Amino acid sequence: MNVIVLLSIILFLLMMIVGGKKGVRSFISLFLNFGVIMFAIFLMTNPQWNPIIITIIACVFISCISLFFINDVNSKTIAAFISTIITIVLLLFFIVIVTKYAMIQGFGEEEINELGVFSLFIGIDFTKLLASVIIMSTIGAIMDVAISMAASMHEIFNNNPSISRRDLFASGLSVGRDILGADTNTLFFVFFGGYLALLLWFKDLHYSIGGIINSKIFSAEMISILCAGIGVALSLPIAAGINAYLLVRKREKQQA
Amino acid sequence: MNVIKNSLVKMTYKQILLFTVIGLCFAISMIFINNNYSFYEQPIAKVIQTELVEASDITDMNNNKDRLFIQQIIGEIKNGEYEGQLIQLTNKYSSSGAYDQQFRVGNELFVSIDPSKEEDSTLIGSITNVKRDQFVVLVAWIFIFVLLITGKKQGLLSIMSLAVNATLLSFALDLYIKNPSISLVLICAVSGIVFTIISLTIVSGFNEKTYAAIIATLLGTFISLCIAYIVIGVTSGTGLRYEEMQFLTRPYQMVYMAGLLIGSLGAVMDVAITMSSSLFALYEQNNDISVKALKASGIDIGKDIMGTITSILFFAYISGSIPVIILYLKNASLLGFTLSMNLSLELARALVGGIGIVLTIPIGLYTTLYFVNRKRARS
Repeated sequence: MNVIVLLSIILFLLMMIVGGKKGVRSFISLFLNFGVIMFAIFLMTNPQWNPIIITIIACVFISCISLFFINDVNSKTIAAFISTIITIVLLLFFIVIVTKYAMIQGFGEEEINELGVFSLFIGIDFTKLLASVIIMSTIGAIMDVAISMAASMHEIFNNNPSISRRDLFASGLSVGRDILGADTNTLFFVFFGGYLALLLWFKDLHYSIGGIINSKIFSAEMISILCAGIGVALSLPIAAGINAYLLVRKREKQQA
Repeated sequence: MNVIKNSLVKMTYKQILLFTVIGLCFAISMIFINNNYSFYEQPIAKVIQTELVEASDITDMNNNKDRLFIQQIIGEIKNGEYEGQLIQLTNKYSSSGAYDQQFRVGNELFVSIDPSKEEDSTLIGSITNVKRDQFVVLVAWIFIFVLLITGKKQGLLSIMSLAVNATLLSFALDLYIKNPSISLVLICAVSGIVFTIISLTIVSGFNEKTYAAIIATLLGTFISLCIAYIVIGVTSGTGLRYEEMQFLTRPYQMVYMAGLLIGSLGAVMDVAITMSSSLFALYEQNNDISVKALKASGIDIGKDIMGTITSILFFAYISGSIPVIILYLKNASLLGFTLSMNLSLELARALVGGIGIVLTIPIGLYTTLYFVNRKRARS
């Protein structure tokens, strides 16, 4: 049997045993998200379409699946959805500028030998593709921050319904700070784990520090992971602000 | 009132000091990185003039249309024996830019100088690489600032733990290269234990909460890695295309396994600390809370975080393969072949990480319960 199939079955069983119905939904949402990514890749192969626009649309679908399908549509998930999309759009402006000037798109000289049989002139803008990749790599973490903050700010609001907007914002931020550390940690270990072979390669071939930092593949990975971290940090004040605004507005409406 | 005022003044002094130090570090490192030409042996040229000399449309064997350009560049050498002289360079690039790049005035390039073709005072040479260090450092600083501004103390702590972990990993790899007889998986397992202890104690200090999280992380990672070993053993690795693993100077399966271990560690730590800190918070709110109630809330918390943390791993692993998948597809590769070549290892990583995350929920629950009960028995 195939490794991937067997691992998927194990993951599915574990999610079902530990998480019950919600676990099954989480597993299905992974599957659906995979489908969305595949479809987005398929659309990106058309040179007429802008990969960044496709990515934004894909992100809307991914957040719908991960937020609304697993947790139902309610005020928490709606707040989380809005903060996810706003963070992603803001982060995109930053990433487009970075990818335009850092010259890190496409493939590095270490990778190019294996791609020798392929034609590289495929008419797809690799700079925009890189911006899409960075956004996609961080959307999981941004959604995590958004939903955790929405949940805990609702909790704070319910325990203290007369809390001012400012205090709510501040306590939301302080909850978010714990998540920030955990999520940047998660992303950085993913980076270390995925690029262990590359790090060994650099050390085996006695690259100098300058050689490593200036190589396209290392700087591209480093910049992507830093942008992902920036995205997570950026999503804290956005999520805190949106939740504070929506919750207090709801209270004011009820009072009026 | 006065006490609060004083502590506020003290706090701001401390903060002012901290921000001055960080600001100085930023300024010094940016000045250094933009003027560090003399630290490189290879000549560096700064582009001072570019001219487009030719543009042509091409269609490759798969009917993909692209546009090729040739650019004449005049650069000024910034280091070495030719410092200050002008150099003439030619750059070919395409509008897609998969392995090439348009250069603009101000870009800095590593060049090799062709001494045989020296004419007048202008050198002739070719471009070997781009100087990117200033971008890496600048984005790193933006990351640090954003983390400090939004994360305050926690942001500082997570930057510190990242820096310590990166240094440790580098030491561990050096150790492995010097002693290749020790298994890389073993070295990574030992460093994994150290990473876990450092990251979790930096974030939440020395207390029962942290001990419970450390034990849960280590058990969760260990068991999920065992599952991965067994699965790969039982299926004899069918479906894993190690050919795709680039940069191999070492036995691939071992490097892959070590990567699996390190890669899922962060996510498993996240689950473990979330479980233990929220259960301890519940216990501290109400010291008489029953084990049954704690179990129920633990499972509820686990259900909430399970989906989102697995998807962090999932997106982080899968997204990196998008450009290469598109390259394969545009070169008329079959979809099944493309996906199995480029996604099998990444999917397996994400799945093993996911298994670790889900397993750590009950493991974290029971280790935390053990520590809560111990604390309760003592008080």
